[in-house]
Amino acid sequence: MEKMIEIKDLHKDFGKNHILKGVNLTIHRGEVVTIIGSSGSGKSTLLRCINMLEEPTSGDILFKGDSILSDEYSLSQLRTHLGMVFQQFNLFENKNALQNCVIGQVQVLKRSQKEAEKIAMDNLCKVGMGEFQNASPKQLSGGQKQRVAIARALSMNPDCLLFDEPTSALDPEMVGEVLKTIRELAAEGLTMVVVTHEMGFAKDVSDRVVFMDQGVIAEENTPEEIFNHPKELRTKEFLKRILEQH
Amino acid sequence: MKKWMTWLFAFLLIFPALTWGNSEATAETNDEDLFRVGMEAGYPPFNWTQQTDKNGAVPIDGQKEYAGGYDVEIARKVAEGLGKKLVIVKISWDGLAPALTSGKIDAIIAGMSPTEERKKAIDFSEAYHHAELVMMVKKGSPFEEARSLADFEGAKITGQLGTLHYDAIDQIPGVQKELAMDDFPAMRVALESGVIDGYVSENVEGLTARKINPNFVMVQFDEGKGFELSEADSTVAIGLRKGSPLTEPINEVLGNISREQREEIMATAIEQQPGAEDDATGGFFFWVKKIVEENGVMFLRGAGMTLLISLIGTVLGTAIGMAIGMFRTIPTPKKAGKRGLFNFLNTLFSIYIEVFRGTPMIVQSMVIYYGAAQAFGININRTIAAIIIVSINTGAYMTEIVRGGIFAVDKGQFEAAQAIGMTHYQTMRHIVVPQVIRNILPATGNEFVINIKDTSVLNVIAVSELFFQAKTVSGANFRFFETFSVVCVIYFVMTFAVTQILRRIEKKLDGPGHYEPYGNQMQVQKPETID
Repeated sequence: MEKMIEIKDLHKDFGKNHILKGVNLTIHRGEVVTIIGSSGSGKSTLLRCINMLEEPTSGDILFKGDSILSDEYSLSQLRTHLGMVFQQFNLFENKNALQNCVIGQVQVLKRSQKEAEKIAMDNLCKVGMGEFQNASPKQLSGGQKQRVAIARALSMNPDCLLFDEPTSALDPEMVGEVLKTIRELAAEGLTMVVVTHEMGFAKDVSDRVVFMDQGVIAEENTPEEIFNHPKELRTKEFLKRILEQH
Repeated sequence: MKKWMTWLFAFLLIFPALTWGNSEATAETNDEDLFRVGMEAGYPPFNWTQQTDKNGAVPIDGQKEYAGGYDVEIARKVAEGLGKKLVIVKISWDGLAPALTSGKIDAIIAGMSPTEERKKAIDFSEAYHHAELVMMVKKGSPFEEARSLADFEGAKITGQLGTLHYDAIDQIPGVQKELAMDDFPAMRVALESGVIDGYVSENVEGLTARKINPNFVMVQFDEGKGFELSEADSTVAIGLRKGSPLTEPINEVLGNISREQREEIMATAIEQQPGAEDDATGGFFFWVKKIVEENGVMFLRGAGMTLLISLIGTVLGTAIGMAIGMFRTIPTPKKAGKRGLFNFLNTLFSIYIEVFRGTPMIVQSMVIYYGAAQAFGININRTIAAIIIVSINTGAYMTEIVRGGIFAVDKGQFEAAQAIGMTHYQTMRHIVVPQVIRNILPATGNEFVINIKDTSVLNVIAVSELFFQAKTVSGANFRFFETFSVVCVIYFVMTFAVTQILRRIEKKLDGPGHYEPYGNQMQVQKPETID
């Protein structure tokens, strides 16, 4: 399988806090990888390092074989290949649903307005938000916003989608619609890295589950193995805590 | 609703334009051929403003009004004698000396006495009027029958700021010297309302005041019991720049006007001054109606000027604030050279903000308009100067407001834009600025309203905005309450209209709170793939 992203001995410090303490992870084309772990374990920081929203302190990240940390590497280019979906949606407040999906295409990919609108509309329809194309973000519910955010990321035709806890800020009844959308994308074979607290979803959708604890990857395996036969003690304890909550 | 808005907008844009276009004579003709005279045009019978050129009044530079009075007649004779064209520049009292020294005008003919203090800064011609100091009191007051200075023991007395009238108060034994006031209209209001017991004036001004407001009594002192004045103090002369070549020829012209001629001119001026023929009776509404009828056009022009300066000033100021605010969001460059420039500009902007927020606009106007002319010989059109002053003043405030507006934009907006590969500039231009504009709209409206009111200080640089026009009108008709009531309403209408328009814009930008998916079917494409 073709290697899409290779993370090598990645460290990240925020002042005196060591958040990532040597992470190694490879993501292949077409793979769906979910990252689980308790709060503060470094899941989100790892994800944000992949598209350089956070600058790693040391280590290396290769995208399709090239180091994204070298000075010559164009971050703007990288980011068009990596779509990001945020916990807080981050839809552009001054733009409606369609414009949210169009602006990046026109400004960054230099597509024509007409072409961009067509692609945006296709993606909005794909996530079931076609009829809301003219709605402004504040007219939408959390679940609807997140689906538009997914359409926005898809409109850039990324090689890989990064999801940063996409359902954590949603009311429980809206989690389903967003997860359904992500599942459909997974079924299409899109490469995805998903940081999530939804264990059921992780179990169903992932090719591989990564469990992070205290800044390192404690265990990674197929969902079957991780959820049914965890090898590490801390994986067991984490899963036990999570299951008790639900 | 929309139509109504469009009309109001059009009005806001066109109305100020009407006041524009009255070019200043100084910009057109060769300076050498002009005799530019500065005066308040609000101190009858020496000088006043009127709507027409009747009785030989002279047009005021850059305006549609005319100036008349004793000073104007003297100025005309002097200009004739010099063989130059007379130009009357209307400037508030405080602005006269700076205007002269900075070369904006050639002479001050404004009922000004050649005091020792003034002589340090400017030269004076021979006297063209001899004054006697009197005391103005209210009818029925205990001071009505006073004959000597001693009679004013314990009285609350004031005089015009920076005049010998005010200094003369010290000669009254046991007097309560009140704070000096800006001009005669203000003192007349104070006297009428009983805040003061009297103000020091000259016989001419006193005669006029008494004539128009029968409630005032002019107290003239017995020989040797009144104010003691030096020759310099009791006369009125023409103010000239130090070492001006005009001094000699002007003295020659003045020498040819006999005392009898002067007295005749003064008598005519007192006769002709506005309001002189008016009936002093009549109620509040009678006067309001009269003021609106006679001076309505003048007020509208003043309001137009006020609106023009504050509108352009607010827009430019907001642009300055935006530019600096945006500059400050640029991440610090990594290269040493660029970083140096970046830090230098940042320091410069900080100084700009602190200086212009920390000093009054009236002081800035003096420095920029007169200071620049005096120090560097830069001569700016006064309306442009006013707009520049208001713009950079507003800019200093807006920079901080924009900073707040940027802070209020969620960090996630920047990240989301970054995450789809947008550059800093693209992010700012398409995502952040539109949101900042929405965020700062209420504060910008506030600045606009403040500017409408604060432009009233610009009369020191001879800009005839609404407040200056009102001072002129009330100085002529002595109806302060009625005049300023009218002006009050005009100011309120302007500020209220502005706040309402901005509120509507805000509402429009915010849009409705809910969305109806099929409310606009025309634009909706049929979903293609939904499983």
